[in-house]
Amino acid sequence: MFKDLSPKKINLTEWSHQFRKISDQIIKKYKYYGNQDWGIYLSPPATFMVYGARQLKRLKFDNSFAALRLWGFVFNESERLFRAKQVGKKVIATMGDLGTIPVIVMSFPDCIPFYPECIWWTPFFNESFILLDMATKLGAPEPACFSRAALAAFYKKAYFPKPDLIFASTGASCDDYSCIMQLIEGLGYNPIWIEIPFRRKSRSYFVADDYEHTKCGIDYPKRFETYLMSEYKKVWQNMVEFTDINNRNYLAKSIKNANRLRKLVENIKKLSYEAELAPFPGLELMVIEFGNLYGYADFDEWTDIIEMVYETISERVQKGEGVLNPDALPIAWVTPSPDPYLLNLVEDLGCRIVATEYVINQALVEIEEDIEPFQALARSFLNASLIGSTEQRVRRIIEGVEHGRISGVLITNMLGCSHCAMETRLIQQMLSKVPVLSIDVPAPFGITEQLKSRIAAFVETIRCARR
Amino acid sequence: MRETLTPRERFGLLVIDEKPDRCNIIPLVTSHAAEIARMKLKKYYTNGEAMARAQIAAIEEYGHDAISIFSEVGIIAEAMGSDFDYPDDDLPVIKRPALTKKNIEDIKIPVPKRDKRLPVYLEAIGYAYQSLGDKVPILAYVPAPFTTGMMLSDPNTFLIQTIRDPDHIKKIMEKSLQAAIEFCYDIIDAGALPIIVDPLASSSVISPKAYKNFALPYERALIDFLHRYDLDIILHICGNTEPILDLLLETGADLVSLDQVDLSLAIEKLSKRMRIIGNFDTSKIAFSSPEEIMEEVKNMVKRGIKSKKGYIASTGCEVPIKTPPENVRTFINAAKEVGWYWE
Repeated sequence: MFKDLSPKKINLTEWSHQFRKISDQIIKKYKYYGNQDWGIYLSPPATFMVYGARQLKRLKFDNSFAALRLWGFVFNESERLFRAKQVGKKVIATMGDLGTIPVIVMSFPDCIPFYPECIWWTPFFNESFILLDMATKLGAPEPACFSRAALAAFYKKAYFPKPDLIFASTGASCDDYSCIMQLIEGLGYNPIWIEIPFRRKSRSYFVADDYEHTKCGIDYPKRFETYLMSEYKKVWQNMVEFTDINNRNYLAKSIKNANRLRKLVENIKKLSYEAELAPFPGLELMVIEFGNLYGYADFDEWTDIIEMVYETISERVQKGEGVLNPDALPIAWVTPSPDPYLLNLVEDLGCRIVATEYVINQALVEIEEDIEPFQALARSFLNASLIGSTEQRVRRIIEGVEHGRISGVLITNMLGCSHCAMETRLIQQMLSKVPVLSIDVPAPFGITEQLKSRIAAFVETIRCARR
Repeated sequence: MRETLTPRERFGLLVIDEKPDRCNIIPLVTSHAAEIARMKLKKYYTNGEAMARAQIAAIEEYGHDAISIFSEVGIIAEAMGSDFDYPDDDLPVIKRPALTKKNIEDIKIPVPKRDKRLPVYLEAIGYAYQSLGDKVPILAYVPAPFTTGMMLSDPNTFLIQTIRDPDHIKKIMEKSLQAAIEFCYDIIDAGALPIIVDPLASSSVISPKAYKNFALPYERALIDFLHRYDLDIILHICGNTEPILDLLLETGADLVSLDQVDLSLAIEKLSKRMRIIGNFDTSKIAFSSPEEIMEEVKNMVKRGIKSKKGYIASTGCEVPIKTPPENVRTFINAAKEVGWYWE
């Protein structure tokens, strides 16, 4: 019988050793889409290494059973999407909006949303240039963000099946991604484009606009809400035509499901970031945050996993147990890193992540359940990280700094990622009360001793500043 | 046709029941790789880095779809105490089986990172994985318990004991199974997919009844263990396996590599549940003309790709060491010409 040991981060070989203690019965218990033949996903990291995820040899993972479940499920996603098609489910690509359109898609029975651009982690997990080189050949060269891997994946048809529908957001989304999406369209795919408005902050020049504010207290012109509602209704209509199903009650239920997960994740973040000792590693917490986007292609099973993670974290907090040294320095992480190893590295060098701004705020806040569903979705999306000012984006981190909860800020930039180029300097200025380190995420294999030294110096600077 | 996928991507699609751009082409290029690398065989099977380098050289030469970490089937028995001779220009030859020196109870389960040439394999896997693991799957051949059991024993005595003292044989099987499992743990952690090879369980060697009683249960146990890892497992049995085709379904293998079997019959009997690998005659790849190989491989692959759950174009057994490289190239070119799934 497997029982969680004292929390710590362990490597692949240690996980394989622990895995021996897990019974066949337990392995068979956890499955996606309820399928016993191919739906089993409780595998140790070594399994995914055998299938090419080479970085797993260097990563460290949380040693809880919940983390095993989490990783097995996440690494199984590519197969899951193919299996979905094999059993007649519809696979819907929802690109660029990061969090809202999947809630609509999941209102339709047997429709599975996914984010092709989330494949930007794959070149790093695989320590491979295969996708990036192919993207270059297809017209998205090195200066474009790592999400260009999605272009190669669409071309190769080996990482996810051909989507039955593609919704692609443009406008105030990441514009590198928009360019990549246009190249994908050039491969013969037919995306349905959704326009995202920029959330203007200033009222003074636009006196004709009525302004509202979101639950998070962010101002927005009211007509943007109306506009987004019309875009979401367009998504709905396309889904209705595609599935021949039109039941608004399903949308309300889908919102409830999304909120259930969002509340859980909010609680996990609160527990993890506020506990005296870090109860869960930063890498796993990043994976958890991103799960809010679409539940890694099986929303119910993912929510179940997150419930287990929450229980594990709660227990650790109650017992006062943690996975990092008690003197780990609290930092905020701005912009997600496509290289998972960086999160391991930063913790190994003495930091603890206590706040994040991974450009997916819109997927973290609860959706209102007592108003018209499309309005609720629009109002939820208007909390988005990337559609407004830099100040709005990092205001929570500024608050954390002001209150002394955050001692340093690490910003990970991507070459060619436009918002990184524009925002990093501004963020550095806004957060000047604490040490801020901005690093460019290098291509796979690119983490040098020099970069490690820069992070180590950043940690030392924080330590000195705290003294 | 233009290849869209890497071997790793191609194999990845096969094992989730998706059709790749073309069929995987994996002739069993094992010790033949030493010839391609112009390396003495002894160096190939005693030095992990050399084995990996030879395999990489073969991939560069032929462009087939997997690296095969293998020299011969005695490696686990050797680590359990059987003595071998190691000729410079040939594969190891068994000299004195462990059970002629000790009782089964006294034989220890080997430690793969330490004992005899098992670390050679692990080193080879590590080197190959680091070099090409993102593009090419690494397959590591693991002798099944029956084959290891026979390599621990005097073969005649072993076969007689299957009739006269089956309980003793089962003790040998249990220990061989445990040794294979321990080896698999390390193979997986090093990044390779274990292939179970059981040449001595062939119907050319034992009866179907003996296969059912002594080989199959331990093949299945080993495969069950590997299924805990959610890995897709290849079972290879050389020689004639037509009499046990139906029994192969009971092993639980996900892919079955066949030798002297009518391919159409194998497809008919197995392909609903297993992917089929095979089965070009190894004497033909060694001795036929390129023209003959071209034609026969094309015929084979045209039949093979009709296999329901998928097909890997391969040789029935290992490519003989001295096979002319031109013949292997012809095999691969022929398969690449007709083995396409995508338009």
